Amino acid sequence: MAGILIALCIGLPWAGALLVWWIGNDNPRWQHSLAVGFSAAGGLAALALIGLRSQGAGLSLKVGGAFGDFSFVPDGLSVYLTAIATVIGSLAVIFSIDYMRGEEQLGRYYALVLFFIGSMAGLVLTNNLFLMFLFWEITALCSYGLISFHNDDPKAVAGGIKALIITQLGGIGLLVAAILSYSYLGSFDTNLLLQKAPELPANVLTILAFGCLAAAAAKSAQFPFQTWLPDAMEAPTPVSALIHAATMVNAGVYLLARFYPAFAAVPNWREAVMLVGMISALMAALMALAANDLKRVLAYSTVSQLGYMVYAVGAGGVLASQFHLLSHSIFKALLFLGAGAVIHAAGTRDMRQMGGLGSQMPFVRTVFVAGALALAGVPVLNGFWSKELVLEAGLSGGPVWVFGLMIFTAALTALYTFRMVWMVFFGENRGGLHAHEAGAAMKTALAPLALGALVSWLLAGPFSRLLAETLPHHSIHALPTGEILLEVIKAPATYIALAAVALGLAAWWWREKLRLFSEALSGILWVAAHSFGFEAINRGVVSVTNDAAEDLRGSQTGLLNWNVLAIIIALVLVLLLLALGA
Amino acid sequence: MINFLIGAGILACAILAVRENRLLVSALWLALTSALVSFLMYRVGAAEVAVVELSVGAGLVTVLFVFAINIIGNESVASQAPLPRPLAWVAIVLGGLLLAWMILPSMQLERFTAVLEQQGELAGLFRSVLWTDRSVDSLLQVVLIFSGVLAVLGLIGGEEGLESKEEKQG
Amino acid sequence: MIFSLPNIAIVVVLGLFGVGLYGVLISRNLIKVVVGLQIAVKGALVAFVLAGRLSSQVDVGQSLALTVIVADTIVAVVALALAVQVRRKFGTLDIPSLTSLRR
Repeated sequence: MAGILIALCIGLPWAGALLVWWIGNDNPRWQHSLAVGFSAAGGLAALALIGLRSQGAGLSLKVGGAFGDFSFVPDGLSVYLTAIATVIGSLAVIFSIDYMRGEEQLGRYYALVLFFIGSMAGLVLTNNLFLMFLFWEITALCSYGLISFHNDDPKAVAGGIKALIITQLGGIGLLVAAILSYSYLGSFDTNLLLQKAPELPANVLTILAFGCLAAAAAKSAQFPFQTWLPDAMEAPTPVSALIHAATMVNAGVYLLARFYPAFAAVPNWREAVMLVGMISALMAALMALAANDLKRVLAYSTVSQLGYMVYAVGAGGVLASQFHLLSHSIFKALLFLGAGAVIHAAGTRDMRQMGGLGSQMPFVRTVFVAGALALAGVPVLNGFWSKELVLEAGLSGGPVWVFGLMIFTAALTALYTFRMVWMVFFGENRGGLHAHEAGAAMKTALAPLALGALVSWLLAGPFSRLLAETLPHHSIHALPTGEILLEVIKAPATYIALAAVALGLAAWWWREKLRLFSEALSGILWVAAHSFGFEAINRGVVSVTNDAAEDLRGSQTGLLNWNVLAIIIALVLVLLLLALGA
Repeated sequence: MINFLIGAGILACAILAVRENRLLVSALWLALTSALVSFLMYRVGAAEVAVVELSVGAGLVTVLFVFAINIIGNESVASQAPLPRPLAWVAIVLGGLLLAWMILPSMQLERFTAVLEQQGELAGLFRSVLWTDRSVDSLLQVVLIFSGVLAVLGLIGGEEGLESKEEKQG
Repeated sequence: MIFSLPNIAIVVVLGLFGVGLYGVLISRNLIKVVVGLQIAVKGALVAFVLAGRLSSQVDVGQSLALTVIVADTIVAVVALALAVQVRRKFGTLDIPSLTSLRR
């Protein structure tokens, strides 16, 4: 039964992708409804799968000796991420009905989105490292294809290529980890790796651990790879909500959480993970404060929140990081989709042009504010509880100075969130924009997410049980919801963080009176607006790759025979090496 | 002696197939090469694959070649090579010599002739090896055959006879 | 002894491989390239079968050879179909006149 559901979770979106493509762009109505139907069916399958979670393989394809079995394990970590991918995926698809209405080439759009949803489910469900790498790269490919969806726009194409190259660079880390694991354990099985990790030679385990960290940092847009995510905002907004906020960028955090028990003992690994998370969170929060593009602000805040999750994993709080991941997926998808509705209505992404849109689109304002409060960490919304859990885990598992900086980041988060909400929905209408309220499909997608942002924290207890029951290596303790909440309320970290959030709010409220402060800050913000120089470094990496490709062009004559000659010469060289070595 | 004749025949046919400028004749020489190769395989002891090679390699592929050449027209092109012949010679001979130098010493003839004696014990496993140990290959083959069918459908298009033949091969 | 079956087969393998690749290298015609490729692959087939036979695992060799036959046939089909399309679209099968890259 679980096997069938797993096959459905991956297969339904893929089948939908083929069908939407096949039906052609002449029938946009059919494309919309097919995409919604298949993604929603995949979502239902994933929700049903939560009930059938287990430690054992739910689905196992025997493919002979070379690769091990292609097996899929529906354990707690996997099923809830599958549910996020498919459910938020289907909401994003529903949102697209309004957002993408009248666009050209819907087939390509929906096919890539559905292909992505299925691959994301596969990525988190499989316990075969080789297969995981495969799905990992498929999601990167889909992300590239969707960022560059408007392929007549050079900025979109450049953003897509940048995202592709940088995530591929990190993907090498995962590939190295998979190959090393295979060569030392004779298997790609992740559970075997978790089990046998202590028996591996120390240096091999170190390479494995830092390879995975590099892969995770590149995928989750963490320091020093963070610059691809803001440029990925050229994608259509539902894609940004789905891939670049709620699902794919979480794959890195998932990878770290999945292998945390194996790597925790590696010297300096946990510290490195915490530092990566802290630097990303702080830096991205500063950049969000300086940005004027609505989607870029959200992108930076995604990097920042992912930094929180990475920090929590490093501090040993796997449960806290995953709970924050759940909350973040919900409220960030809400914020992105809300931003999509605003951009769709206003026709611009520049927040300086907006303002006062709240009275013109009250529904969007209401849900957006709910999401923003969750992002800022204001009590009773889901972001508050999970962020407190993260900070608490950080205080108990990491150095205090890192904790202090994370608290400071929480204040910055509140500050940039209120700045964003104010610039978009309140104050005077600077650009004189005439916005219209979101369409029915947009509302259908936004409402459940807003509800989720309000109440998903009530699931803390079942969520901890879900992870605790099926992850034997992670030593997570299941607690009822009440106890987790009580623990948060009693912890001193909570009040420090709340004070920080209030400080951030106050800083925005009295921004006129804090002239001196803001002038002192403006220098930092100027640097932040230029991405602390990392933009240049990452651009350098991308342009070196491109230049190398350009230079290699000269060697291409386009003549088949010369190409074959090159192959044969390579063969001769390999043979020579073998002969000399023998 | 018969083995020697087969080997010489194979090489002769292959050289003729490459040297021939008329496409149709070249394809026919290829078919003859294929048939002789399948005979050699049978001599080496691989009867099953020899049958497949005879039917697919010598049969189906030749039919495809003849069909394609029919569509294109039996043009014979200039024999002038697009890259210097000596270069090709040097690359091939160098590769061949290196390969031979590496393979031949490892052919410990006594051991292998001993292996060649024991005929009976080897047979019978083919099916189980194919379907259980190497089921990845079978999956890949299904995909490949599917793509081949697509290629024939999409590219040569409109010729019913070939499509059915192509599917039979699976 | 020098004309024993393994020796002959090895010479055939090397010969087919070399002749096939030589054909690919010097042919100007797309169809001829496919012919050369086929010949080279025949060499590989014999090598698989021979290696299987010599290591007493004739069935493993056979199943690999079977896979190669299937793959090779599909390669031939696709290549021929492409050649037909190239001929229809560009009116020629001459490789040097097909290239569109700057040099």
